[in-house]
Amino acid sequence: MSAPPGPQRIVVIGAGMAAVRLVEGLVGSSAPAGARTHAGADDPITVTLIGDEPHLPYNRILLSAVLEGTHEPSALTLRSAQWYADHDVELRLGSRVLTVDLERRDVMLVDGETIPYDRLVLATGSIPTLPPIRGLVQVDGRLHERVHAFRHLDDCTRLLAALPQARRAVVVGGGLLGLQVARALSVRGVATEVVEGGEHLLRSQVGTQAGRILARDLRRLGTEVYTGARAVRLTDGPDGGLRLDNGHTLSTDLVVLTAGGRPSTGLARNAGLEVRRGVVVDAHLTTSDPHVHAIGDCAQRGDRTTGFVPPAWEQAELLAAHLAGRITPPYDGSRTVARLRATDLDVAVLGDADAEGEVVEVSNPVAGSHRRLVVADGRIVAATLVGDLSRIGLITQLYDRRTRLAAHEPGDLLLGERAAAPLVVNDASEVCSCAGVTAGAIRACASLAAVRDTTRATTGCGGCTDTVRHLLATRTPPIHLEVPS
Amino acid sequence: MTQTHCPYCSLQCGMTLQREGRAALAVQAWPEFPVNDGALCRKGWTATGLRGHRERLTTPLVRDPATGELAAATWDDALDLVAARLTSIQRDHGKDAVAVFGGGGLTNEKAYLLGKLARVALGTSLIDYNGRWCMSSAASAGNQAFGVDRGLPFPLADVEQTDVLVLVGSNLAETMPPAARHLDRLRERGGRVVVIDPRRTPTADRADLFLQPVPGTDLPLALGVLHLLDAAGAVDEAYVAARTTGFDDVRRSVAAWWPERVERVSGVGADELRALATLLAGAARVTVLTARGAEQHSQGTATVLAWINVALALGMCGKPSAGYGCLTGQGNGQGGREHGQKSDQLPGYRMIDDPAARAHVAGVWGVEPESLPGKGLSAYELLDSLGTDGGPRALLVHASNIVVSAPNAVHVAERLAALDLLVVADVVLSETAAMADVVLPVTQWAEETGTMTNLEGRVILRQQAVAPPAGVRSDLDVIAGLASRLGSTAAFPTDPEEAFAELARASAGGRADYAGITYDRIRAEHGVFWPCPSADHPGTPRLFADAFATPDGRARCVVVDHVGAAEQPDDDYPVHLTTGRVLAQYQSGAQTRRITDLPHDGPFVELHPMLAARVGVRDGEPVVVTTRRGELKAPARVVTTIRPDTVFVPFHWVGANRLTHDALDPSSRMPAFKVCAAAVRA
Repeated sequence: MSAPPGPQRIVVIGAGMAAVRLVEGLVGSSAPAGARTHAGADDPITVTLIGDEPHLPYNRILLSAVLEGTHEPSALTLRSAQWYADHDVELRLGSRVLTVDLERRDVMLVDGETIPYDRLVLATGSIPTLPPIRGLVQVDGRLHERVHAFRHLDDCTRLLAALPQARRAVVVGGGLLGLQVARALSVRGVATEVVEGGEHLLRSQVGTQAGRILARDLRRLGTEVYTGARAVRLTDGPDGGLRLDNGHTLSTDLVVLTAGGRPSTGLARNAGLEVRRGVVVDAHLTTSDPHVHAIGDCAQRGDRTTGFVPPAWEQAELLAAHLAGRITPPYDGSRTVARLRATDLDVAVLGDADAEGEVVEVSNPVAGSHRRLVVADGRIVAATLVGDLSRIGLITQLYDRRTRLAAHEPGDLLLGERAAAPLVVNDASEVCSCAGVTAGAIRACASLAAVRDTTRATTGCGGCTDTVRHLLATRTPPIHLEVPS
Repeated sequence: MTQTHCPYCSLQCGMTLQREGRAALAVQAWPEFPVNDGALCRKGWTATGLRGHRERLTTPLVRDPATGELAAATWDDALDLVAARLTSIQRDHGKDAVAVFGGGGLTNEKAYLLGKLARVALGTSLIDYNGRWCMSSAASAGNQAFGVDRGLPFPLADVEQTDVLVLVGSNLAETMPPAARHLDRLRERGGRVVVIDPRRTPTADRADLFLQPVPGTDLPLALGVLHLLDAAGAVDEAYVAARTTGFDDVRRSVAAWWPERVERVSGVGADELRALATLLAGAARVTVLTARGAEQHSQGTATVLAWINVALALGMCGKPSAGYGCLTGQGNGQGGREHGQKSDQLPGYRMIDDPAARAHVAGVWGVEPESLPGKGLSAYELLDSLGTDGGPRALLVHASNIVVSAPNAVHVAERLAALDLLVVADVVLSETAAMADVVLPVTQWAEETGTMTNLEGRVILRQQAVAPPAGVRSDLDVIAGLASRLGSTAAFPTDPEEAFAELARASAGGRADYAGITYDRIRAEHGVFWPCPSADHPGTPRLFADAFATPDGRARCVVVDHVGAAEQPDDDYPVHLTTGRVLAQYQSGAQTRRITDLPHDGPFVELHPMLAARVGVRDGEPVVVTTRRGELKAPARVVTTIRPDTVFVPFHWVGANRLTHDALDPSSRMPAFKVCAAAVRA
């Protein structure tokens, strides 16, 4: 099929992090002519970005940092309005798409307006799961006033506004987001409890032992954790609260729902695209319709959907290159590093929980740390680090670069640096490298002034002054034989 | 007794030279000179060691076509031969068939006249110098952000009064030891020092906070710091609004660089990054200094711009005892780039494609502006083109040991070998001189007079203390001798003070304006800071107090993103290689390796015990480092102070640069000396 005349109209539904990355790639992509793969790729493009939130696209993963108070909300904005204007990107904020028509190749907004596309990109993200708790939703269909979702900037703003009146909070869901929100509330001075239906915290990411140690760490920080317990009912009144299926009722001013989400696939499904858990895409992020692509949390490649930014960005970059006509390697899934962002709670999870390999682990419940490396063929294929991230900067590098390690290394990575042997300063040891002076030459001097004058030690960078003083103080004085007269 | 300066690094420590008896020359302190207060390192103390050295060249050498050996020749024969060959090569192949390669160790007078030789006597556009491999990324960033490139826009001693000093990729305790005294005084005052380096160096040992990133990731660290500063509301909004442009885009661009993302890219823990941001957010005065570790990358300019953005966001540039600066490396790295041995510049830091600049300089030189060639190739690109179809067929080299110091050195040596004519002026038979067709023995340091511009932009005077050995001539004599033989009627003064006066006129009105500087003023004032446009101008120790050197007086905040090193580790080459200096050696070692009082044990390979055990090597045992470009075998130094995913090799000996990568920064054309992928085996 020949390329349509005029600019290629690219419409992106969703204005989250994957969408912005895609747009950045599209407007910044002036592929060298030789790299073009199909006719028409030289044509200019127009980009329309449709987002249902009223705000400029922002860094969603830092919402819990705003809640905690380490980030001002304005610091989350990814690009200024001027930037979109400068790059001819049409922003349709506060707009919801009602339907996608694959035949006509257009999308219809709730207000009835239709926007035609040559290429459509679904970056619709995920929808928070509403746990089956009675009383969560009011008769009018809205959330109970004490109940908060935590997906959008407006959710965060609403929750922040409720904090001054709140003394107690319950976070439903013990995943990464739940723990971040729990810590944020706790740092804000709200007594917080976490309810997790699974047997331990972070059950999608870590094993039982790590989860238990994490729970201990949280309790140490003053946050109670209920695992293996489901919230079943929210009641009002003096004895009201969040009732758990183990019989406890947690009295609370706030209930924050962080119990995960599922790919947002409604538009795709209604349009007739192939949808399983997510919108099914091939290695070029193309859906069952050749003019429609999907990236980020809403997309499913093989049997995988992702909930993290790095793979979503990788997909966005590949798709941007693909749409610009550059040859791209097929998307094969990403290495993930999930990192908890919360004060005093250190967790990193590398790779999949079910990765196969030999396990090297060091668990120290007393200190509240648990570290586990899964090693296959000499390479770290997965890792869990709880409570001690001292080697995170090295372990992630070795994991991301698939470095082949020797047998001793996984163990060395988890043990502390071996204490250096005590420094022996013998007479031949160089003490002052600026002037090239040995300890022996310094010990032969009577005073610091003599050291300066005869050896020039300490007169260059000055770094050896303490060592020289020490040598002078501990030197054996020359023996003078007193000859009685 | 002669007051002068050390022959080596950009600190240009003041020292006095004392004649002892008929021949001996002794180095003594010059406590009144403010940059080093009389302190020197062992390189300075032993600097007279090349005097009377048995390897000192004292006669021109010409390669005998019959034997292929270098043989002694008279100066007239050697210069006649060079001029005749250059003339015939240019006649047959055009002006650009001859190229000139200078150095950051040349005095201002030599650098100036070498540029004039190229542009006027040879008429070639092809001149560049090894300063491209020094601070050019910082120079490019400084020009973009501030509209001017002066390494430090303030005297170095100002750092003692700052509250937090951030050293990005600088090991000054070893590379310019007397400068480290400023760190100690800063800390005695209660200030804090932050060092960022893949190795825990002696400089890092003096730090209050040390970050150890993967080589080549200083850029994302800066993005992450700015992200945290903005998140915490620590940006100086009034300053940013009044004194900068472009900050809003920069602010938005770092919203995507949260600490855990930086951690994954840089290998620096998010908590350490937060500690740095907290330190900066709470400080009234912050000074950020970059050096080669941050700059010698294919994204070196962007890295410096990212750190400048941090300094600007905090409102520091132009504030007393605060701001951003570059610690230039070579002795005259600063002055060497200001007066016309850079391919795109004319004297006074004028751009060669600026018609007004061409007209001014042509006027001083007494030639037509149209006769001046245009912009040539950068250092590595120039070397890469030698002896190729349409490339230069002859090269004149002054003060550079390319075979040791160029990246991808095996390839560069091949290019040098492909030339019809290689002429090298040097004091000893360096590895590069040993390849030459003609070697010209020149004077050195204490044997000659000339100005240098130190890392602060302070123009200083090296004064002759002794007569040169019989048989050697100054570079100025060589340049003048060649110019006259090439038939140039332009002036090529051989008296340094006369040359300086002409340089001052040529620089007048330029960004680096020396017009008001004289030798007498330098002697009387412990150096004069440029710009100094007139005799009654005091010079400019501090820039930017009221305005930046941009057309609107505002600093530019430039959006930069992290692309990453050109060559990433993989299965075949699984570790990062980085290179650098040791205290007792300087640059390619052509001088310091020959000074008997300096230890020169040869190159070594620094690696972590974990990596050493992986490859099965113990401390002191030989280890082989290979890259896609070359191989080096040297003893292992097993240390816990380096990242386990990184090895370090010093570059003072043949070898390190056979390994390094020649990817260039798009703006500064700086090669990626500081990172490539390597393999290590026992």
